[in-house]
Amino acid sequence: MTPTDEPHAGTALNTGIPVELLAEAAELGPGIGPYQLAWRRLRRSRVSLAFGGLFALIVVLCLLAPIYSHYIAHIGPNAEPYTFTIGGKTEDVLNSVGIPIGPTWQLGPYFLGADQNNRDVAVRLLYGGRNSLEIGAAATLFTMILATICGLLAGYFRGLTDGIISRVLDVIWAYPVYLLGIMLGTVIEVRGLGPFHNTTLMTTAAVIGFVYIPYVAKPIRAQVLALREREFVDAARQQGLGPLRIIVSEILPNVASTIIVFIPLMLANAVLTEAGLTYLGAGVRPPNPSWGTMISDGIAQIPASFSNVLIPGIMLVLAVLSVNVFGDGLRDALDPRAKIRLAKE
Amino acid sequence: MARFVVRRLMVMIALLVAISIVTFLAFVVVLPGSDQAAMIAGRLANPAEVHLISVKYGFDRPIWVQYVKTMANIFDGSAYSYQSSFNVLSQIEAGFPTTLSLALGAGIIWLGTSIVVGTLAAIKAGRYTDQVLTVLSMIGVSMPVFFLGAVLIYFLGYKAGVIPLGGYVPLTQSPSQWLWHLVAPWFTLSVLFIGIYSRVLRSTILDTINEDFVRTAKAKGLSERQVLLRHILRNSLVPIISLWGLDLAQVIGGGAILTESVYNLHGIGYLVYQSVTRLDTVTLLSVVMLTALAVVVIGALTEIVYAFLDPRIRLQ
Amino acid sequence: MAVAMLAGAAALSVLGGTSVAAASSTPTVQMVEGTAPQSLDPGLDYTTQGSEVNWIVYTGLTTYAHASGTAGTTLIPGLATALPVISNGGKTYTVTLRKGLVFSNGKPVVASDFAYTVERAIKIPWGGSGTFITPVIQGATAYSTGKAKTISGITTDNATGKIVINLVAPYGPFDNVLAFPALGVIPSGTPMTAQPTSPPPGVGPYEVTNIVPNTSYDVVKNPRWAKMSIPGIPAGYENVDVKISSNVSANALSVLNNSVDIFDWADTIPGSLLSQIQSQAADRYKLVNLGGSTYYIFLNYQEKPFNNQLAREAVVVGLNQDEMSRLGSGTLVPACYFLPPDVPGHPTAPCPYGTPGTGNLAKAKLLVKQSGMEGQPVTVWSESRAPRQQWMTYYTSFLNSIGFKATQKVIADATYFTTIGESKSLHPQTGFADWNQDFPNPVDFYGVLLDGNFILPVNNENFGDTNDPHVNAEVTKLGATPTTDLSSVASQWQALDEYTAKHALLAVFGYQKFPFFTSNRIIYSKLVFQPIYGWDLTSFDLK
Repeated sequence: MTPTDEPHAGTALNTGIPVELLAEAAELGPGIGPYQLAWRRLRRSRVSLAFGGLFALIVVLCLLAPIYSHYIAHIGPNAEPYTFTIGGKTEDVLNSVGIPIGPTWQLGPYFLGADQNNRDVAVRLLYGGRNSLEIGAAATLFTMILATICGLLAGYFRGLTDGIISRVLDVIWAYPVYLLGIMLGTVIEVRGLGPFHNTTLMTTAAVIGFVYIPYVAKPIRAQVLALREREFVDAARQQGLGPLRIIVSEILPNVASTIIVFIPLMLANAVLTEAGLTYLGAGVRPPNPSWGTMISDGIAQIPASFSNVLIPGIMLVLAVLSVNVFGDGLRDALDPRAKIRLAKE
Repeated sequence: MARFVVRRLMVMIALLVAISIVTFLAFVVVLPGSDQAAMIAGRLANPAEVHLISVKYGFDRPIWVQYVKTMANIFDGSAYSYQSSFNVLSQIEAGFPTTLSLALGAGIIWLGTSIVVGTLAAIKAGRYTDQVLTVLSMIGVSMPVFFLGAVLIYFLGYKAGVIPLGGYVPLTQSPSQWLWHLVAPWFTLSVLFIGIYSRVLRSTILDTINEDFVRTAKAKGLSERQVLLRHILRNSLVPIISLWGLDLAQVIGGGAILTESVYNLHGIGYLVYQSVTRLDTVTLLSVVMLTALAVVVIGALTEIVYAFLDPRIRLQ
Repeated sequence: MAVAMLAGAAALSVLGGTSVAAASSTPTVQMVEGTAPQSLDPGLDYTTQGSEVNWIVYTGLTTYAHASGTAGTTLIPGLATALPVISNGGKTYTVTLRKGLVFSNGKPVVASDFAYTVERAIKIPWGGSGTFITPVIQGATAYSTGKAKTISGITTDNATGKIVINLVAPYGPFDNVLAFPALGVIPSGTPMTAQPTSPPPGVGPYEVTNIVPNTSYDVVKNPRWAKMSIPGIPAGYENVDVKISSNVSANALSVLNNSVDIFDWADTIPGSLLSQIQSQAADRYKLVNLGGSTYYIFLNYQEKPFNNQLAREAVVVGLNQDEMSRLGSGTLVPACYFLPPDVPGHPTAPCPYGTPGTGNLAKAKLLVKQSGMEGQPVTVWSESRAPRQQWMTYYTSFLNSIGFKATQKVIADATYFTTIGESKSLHPQTGFADWNQDFPNPVDFYGVLLDGNFILPVNNENFGDTNDPHVNAEVTKLGATPTTDLSSVASQWQALDEYTAKHALLAVFGYQKFPFFTSNRIIYSKLVFQPIYGWDLTSFDLK
């Protein structure tokens, strides 16, 4: 699926580009491909780009966790020292009633303070971010792949295939998201389910990914249902192409923009869901850090050390917000009906 | 038409059966009979006792027998939780007023606010107001519910003493206390939905603005305001209202687990959460069935109403 | 609109009573609990929250003195005229029922009601019946398996009120067993299934009404009690409304602000509120070591690495008990002996590995090297609620720092003990455990938790599979001594407990201190804290 610089007239065979974008690009004259058009629109939205940059910054920071831990903080994410030294003095990390020290605001150990188990909050924030984002990415991948397959198959083949797939999706979607997440998480934790026997980051990701499949599959299915009636699909059929070939080369490219638009949305959802599931006890298990574990540990300590709630919480909100805003901008750029916005600019 | 309705009802029932089977199986997988019996018998029971409990509750019977028996108990209202022996219906009754208060109050607030925000954003599309509202909505959907709740409880509760630290006061006991304890939960639950609904409404309105019938109305000389209210809103609100019904049903059925946990409201969501952590199959199954029933019924009703209004759908 | 809402909340907070301003003015005592009792039906409940209420609603043949401290561990006659006469080498207990007893619904009490009560406790089943009733009373096993219609070991005569109980073998603490609320006498004919919302009537100074599941219940004075005047059981002053609220911080603040009267002693006051409470409410708050519960880490006697004594010693020597206490908001008393201070048999000798303090990491590392168990993978089992999870998180990192490869496994509270009790399939290496006395007799600790003769394939309570022949022999010998003769064997129990500590059979890390915290409406000096059951509700008196 490669964008071309020359819009095809008539059919969109083998271009892999939404028909509407093609039409618009054609309107604007030769030399402007539809994806380039989308990119241009995206570039113009400075807000979206700014937030996209913010998200990239957060990702980079989290990836640098081991460097921060080793060279700056001199504490690992799971270390629980009884005392620490700052400015030449040795202090207890927990006071006599178990309240951890707050942020020191000095580069070194406990820059952002300690949590209730004497661990360095800043170090865990970065390692935890890595875990949370990993889970988010894996869950998103899981959802997108399975939902696309379900949507394509159900929409194209209709009939019995659609019947079965849609009913299964309905069953999944009938449960409130967190309920299903807790149920699956608990089942895996206590007994194991299929190939999953221990709760790891990946099992949490799989649970979250699974729960959101209907959310993505249904719109894709609806789009495929409409697309299969189009002339170019008919043309392909008349050319003697088999159903799978048609799905992959005709239909899939046309739902590509929908898929692309869903990705940041699902990433944001997955990171939020991980936090919620962990708060309810069915997500990431200790001692693995994640933003969710940090926030829920912090909430258990209220009213002490509220910084331990605020810091990971704000980080989480910033990450999710930046993905959401960027994703919104992406959707506007790819959505041909954003004409209205263009007209007003 | 009748055939359509009947078909939808049959699908609905099949769906409910499937949901009940999946939920039941999930917990039978987690806690096979012997483990359930051991858990009920408690720490000090000996194997003979555990076996007796197994027999008493039927854990040694085949799974499908257990399933049928459990479902029968649920439907005639005699199901009770193995751990506490509380009748499930009485537990649901105990939690229902709390959840209903939370859901209805929040529902009205979020629907009203979303309509205002969404319409405003659509009218001022592309301009400064729209951008501000968009950012606010974005923040709303990016914030975990329990984090927002914790922040409110800490700053407005512990620090400022303006809101209570959680808990529920029945309406019959003290209306002012009831209201005061629900303000923060209503706000917290609404924020998320406002973010979503206002965006949906905004794009629906923007789509509708371009429709032919709107241009016709304008050509007929109706004022912008009349066009907005009479035609655009009426059309744009339809998907929102059906979404609202479904979401409300989910919240009432225990979907507001996070809000109820963080604000310590012992409603249906809290009951659901407790049932899962205590591995209390029967209570969980009952509540899940109720929620699924509500969601599926409302969904089916919505489709039937749409089919009634739009013949094209019926013939699909 | 939202801002307006919050402004409105501020306005309302001025009008309606808040948890920050107005004090309660109701004539009943308001009590708040973080955890609900398992059940207010005595035949089912086996929790501290439940016993606290049930023991004053359902009096048994024997009961405990309504006194604080060690005096409260003394048994006194309840519905019986006197403590049981023990004969036949400790196997026969004979009592006579008092005359003129009626249940709270007016029905007269007869001797056969006792037999029915025991049968119901077995049938429901009560959580402790498998240990304290079925194997102990003759004919109980046959009854529980359905082979007999009644318990052959219990004979009653309604005309004279005489009750004779025959045991399978001498069982020292049987007088204590008779005092369990589960054996608090209830009328014959009560349904054999748990009645959680309308529990059966009992004989006691209080009765329970208005039970709302998971939310609240009321403990009100029994109007028929005054006529029966059983000595040693006070009639009580006020009615008590109990609410269940899982936000412990909020509960503590409510008690501080006098809108709620009694804080549940089984909850932990968060450390951040302690200084506030200590300064504002010093006259109605204290932290007390009840002396009846032990927190410990079990060490598997039969599995690597802790089948090696040096490895076990490393844990005892290196564990930083001061840190553990801080993690628990400063509520732990450092300890090394399995039997807590209030149980006869608690040693007075100094700890064999030195007074517990911040722990000696260097020595612990050395011991691990010497044991040859360095690098061994260890799974640490842990409950999920605070501070237990924090304790085990610390313990895991401690094990890693002394040379093991430890990982923590957190289990939901509801299934924790049954999970680690599956010794046949699991063989848990180490993890959290605690025990709160059922009665002040060491056999309650040793016989259940450390006796090699009682390693069960499932529902095992001897989590470490400890099978030390000396321990087994001593427990069997000393366990037969009746509670009333306990002082004669106390020194032998002490010797056994010192042996346990020396061989590091488990790693005790503290005795818990509990908060006695009330509002200023309560006459604090009159409060009685019963060492077995907790708050004595009959001692709650409003100023």
